[in-house]
Amino acid sequence: MKIDIDQEQQVYRKNKSLLLCLHIDAWLLFGILLLLAASLAIVYSASGGDQAVMNRQAIRIGFALVLMVIFAQIPPHIIYIFTPWLFLMGILMLIGVLLFGEVGKGAQRWLNLGPIRFQPSELMKLALPITVAWLFAHSKFPPSLRRLLLGAFVIMITAGLIVVQPDLGTSLLIAMSGLFVLFFAGLPWKVIIASISATVLSAPVAWHFMHAYQKQRVMTFINPESDPLGSGYHIIQSKIAIGSGGIDGKGLLGSTQAHLDFLPESTTDFIFSVLAEEFGLIGVVILLFMYLLVIARGLYIASQAQDNFTRLIAASFMMTLFVYIFVNISMVSGLLPVVGLPLPLMSYGGSSLVSLMISFGILMSIHTHKKLLTD
Amino acid sequence: MSEHLEFNSDSENFAQKKQFQFRLFFAFGFVVLLFLFLIGRMLQLQWLEYDRYKGLADGNRISVEVLPPTRGKIYDRNHILLADNQPVYTLHLIREKMKNIDSTLQATQKILTNISAERLHNFFAKFKKGNRSRTYTLPFSLTEEQAAKFAVINHKHPGVTVDARLKRTYPHGAAAVHALGYVGRINAKELAKLNEKLYRGTDIMGKLGIEKYYESLLHGSPGLQQIETNARGRVIRKLETLPATTGQDIHLSIDIELQKYAESLMGKLRGSIVAIDPTNGEILAFVSMPTFDPNLFVDGIDQKSYDILRNDPNRPMFNRAIKGQYPPGSTIKPFVALGAIEQGFISPYKKISDPGYLEYKGHRYRDWKRKGHGIVDMNTAIVESCDTYFYKLSLDMGIDEIHDTMAPFGFGKASNIDIYGERIGILPSQAWKMAKKGKPWYRGETIISSIGQGYNLATPIQLARATAILANRGKIIVPHLYRNPKEQTFEQVEIKKIANWEKVIKSMQNVMHSKKGTARRYATNLPFKMAGKTGTAQVYSLNAGDYDAETIREKLRDHSLFVGFAPVNNPKIAIAVIAENAGSGSKIAAPIAVKLVSRYLESQLNNLKD
Repeated sequence: MKIDIDQEQQVYRKNKSLLLCLHIDAWLLFGILLLLAASLAIVYSASGGDQAVMNRQAIRIGFALVLMVIFAQIPPHIIYIFTPWLFLMGILMLIGVLLFGEVGKGAQRWLNLGPIRFQPSELMKLALPITVAWLFAHSKFPPSLRRLLLGAFVIMITAGLIVVQPDLGTSLLIAMSGLFVLFFAGLPWKVIIASISATVLSAPVAWHFMHAYQKQRVMTFINPESDPLGSGYHIIQSKIAIGSGGIDGKGLLGSTQAHLDFLPESTTDFIFSVLAEEFGLIGVVILLFMYLLVIARGLYIASQAQDNFTRLIAASFMMTLFVYIFVNISMVSGLLPVVGLPLPLMSYGGSSLVSLMISFGILMSIHTHKKLLTD
Repeated sequence: MSEHLEFNSDSENFAQKKQFQFRLFFAFGFVVLLFLFLIGRMLQLQWLEYDRYKGLADGNRISVEVLPPTRGKIYDRNHILLADNQPVYTLHLIREKMKNIDSTLQATQKILTNISAERLHNFFAKFKKGNRSRTYTLPFSLTEEQAAKFAVINHKHPGVTVDARLKRTYPHGAAAVHALGYVGRINAKELAKLNEKLYRGTDIMGKLGIEKYYESLLHGSPGLQQIETNARGRVIRKLETLPATTGQDIHLSIDIELQKYAESLMGKLRGSIVAIDPTNGEILAFVSMPTFDPNLFVDGIDQKSYDILRNDPNRPMFNRAIKGQYPPGSTIKPFVALGAIEQGFISPYKKISDPGYLEYKGHRYRDWKRKGHGIVDMNTAIVESCDTYFYKLSLDMGIDEIHDTMAPFGFGKASNIDIYGERIGILPSQAWKMAKKGKPWYRGETIISSIGQGYNLATPIQLARATAILANRGKIIVPHLYRNPKEQTFEQVEIKKIANWEKVIKSMQNVMHSKKGTARRYATNLPFKMAGKTGTAQVYSLNAGDYDAETIREKLRDHSLFVGFAPVNNPKIAIAVIAENAGSGSKIAAPIAVKLVSRYLESQLNNLKD
């Protein structure tokens, strides 16, 4: 097949509707907007009716939506070209954090770039899966051992640089996003099963290397009552909030647990508990359904993608989103230890929302920048 | 375009795509399964165990309250209290429980007559927009009387409670404020850097001076208390308690009586006095004039008072003792002389003739005495503060040699005093000028550097420290305000011949006690021997022509300086005095120093008698 370079615009599908002109995927946008609207309401309630908090969140949401639209305009092959530089920049910034990082609450995670304070690990949430997908863009299925080892190496370097910050939680989640790419690229089942069993067996070794506060989190997770004045208190209070919501909840602004200050971080990490308390089981099921809608649409985009690079990115982004949701909800309902992780699209806060919305922008770009050739 | 073509699906294997899609289905199944698992967990918590959690939530009146620590007190060296914690009253407000916010505002306005209506309005305006269920604290304190008045009408204002807390107070007011510093409300920027756990329940922290430097010692750590409340939030009983750890008390090396005396000696002058115990580096008096009242800052200073302080042309908030960089003038002559004779540039007995100026490359460098000092040796040069002697000497030594001889005394580097914000002054050298100005050094600049003018700048703490090191015969001390009984180790300035040091010190003694000494008038009746050196630093260089202090605007008048120590053979106090724009060193700074040193040595003597 020959392509005339002068007629580049014809390579892409002729756009019809406004949304398509803007490279926006309607289904994805619908799910995201519903979740963000719910987020505004819950943040307002969790902050005890604080107007200023809600305004700030609305501004952040607007900003993140603009970023999503901007990233949706960038065709995937442009991202492909810049991937190695993106990764290099991310790695340099992570090293920069270790050398000149600002210490916030005991860990160096912030890089001060003049007026902006920046968390390079946030960039890596996007850059790592893209980089690993870049490595497998031309690979066969299943890929060669050499490529797999290279991918594993890239993941380990990145995760290693974040672990020493020290930020074990983020490091594990970022590594996970890279591992998802390996999985979709065709990591053999034998290897998957073997490494899962190895991880389980090596847990006691990991325990040995953990920081005291991390050990304490695990200990209070296993037995919350052991530290009723400290972190165990949070899990107990969170479970009370969720459980007391019942089937239909206490209604918006009805959360006594959050308003009487029993719940910690009620607008960020524990926002799910507020939602569960105020909207009950029904609210929780609707929330999970909306999440499922977004994830399903994302996975569908992955299945329709035209090349390895984009489909690996799309699939990995969606699975990572799922892991964040699952870990956060499990954490606040006492199924996993408290690791300080926001609930995607719901929690109050800027930086995680921004990287998430950029990933949605990339997803939309993948779906809307298709080439006519394959139609 | 070639990039696209490479991963074009044309080249793709159909089986490969199928395998990928199988994995996608597998992943989606996994997601659905785990979401169902989460819903299962929710069913368990919200349906099966609902009654239990409902009961717990209703009865959930067990909460954890933070017990903020009591801040450590600060005492002077004689155990006189400098920073105390006094109980004061304040109001806590919870919007959710309040009926009529405006009536509460009016009521507080009536009682708090000392607070401007505007500030109260500002607080309430912010409060109305804040978190409905959070407790807000009125940022002003109530006197006992005001608290009692409010308690009487409290029943009309639900959601408002009168609370007693401890407030930092500085009983000596403005005295020693530049050493003590003050505490103030923690702002958002500071909050981000603090250890949240340690500062729960605390809204103040050290902002300046000792209060800031020793924040970690003074603060302590909070305790926790489990309390049971009734449905309306009133405390029924206290369960477990983990008491707070009180902050550590600190003793300063400052003698507050001496400090106040020193401040009174300065009167309305701007400037600084630093007095150090040369045996261990303890700072006895730390004066920067004018001063201000730290009590203003504790509850947050109001804009008007702050503007007055900020816009005061005398800059009361400027810590001159560590931040004021002054040309040291003739006070550096003993250090230059010592370096010259130690390094063998000149013999202390060598006599030169002084016509009242030095001519170098067609320019006349004038002595302060127009007629000149006649025939001078090193002793006379220090005693009468002969400039020409040092002009000539400096041309032999060169600027780098002068730099090297003064650097061990701490000029041009931080004294490492235990307060933040110290400036390091300037001790010029060829390398310094090249690095800072990008220009080579001119020998003419060496000439004016030798009498502490030109680029030379030093802070009062540096001058006091250098004098203490000279008094110590080279034992290097680090000036400090926190009186820590810990054993210190001292470094030593290299001594080639101790006789040279004694020679210079003897000359400084002659400044005070000989017939021609520049400060002879004030030391005639002293019961001890004192060594000193006066200095008069030009604020800007005057061209040839007579100096008339009256006609020059006050701000451009000379700084008056003095450094000294006593007793000469067993130094107990080293001192530096700088009075800005006060004129000659012998007239203003020297008598202040002599009075302060006598007062201190007398009190030491009395202590021995007791």
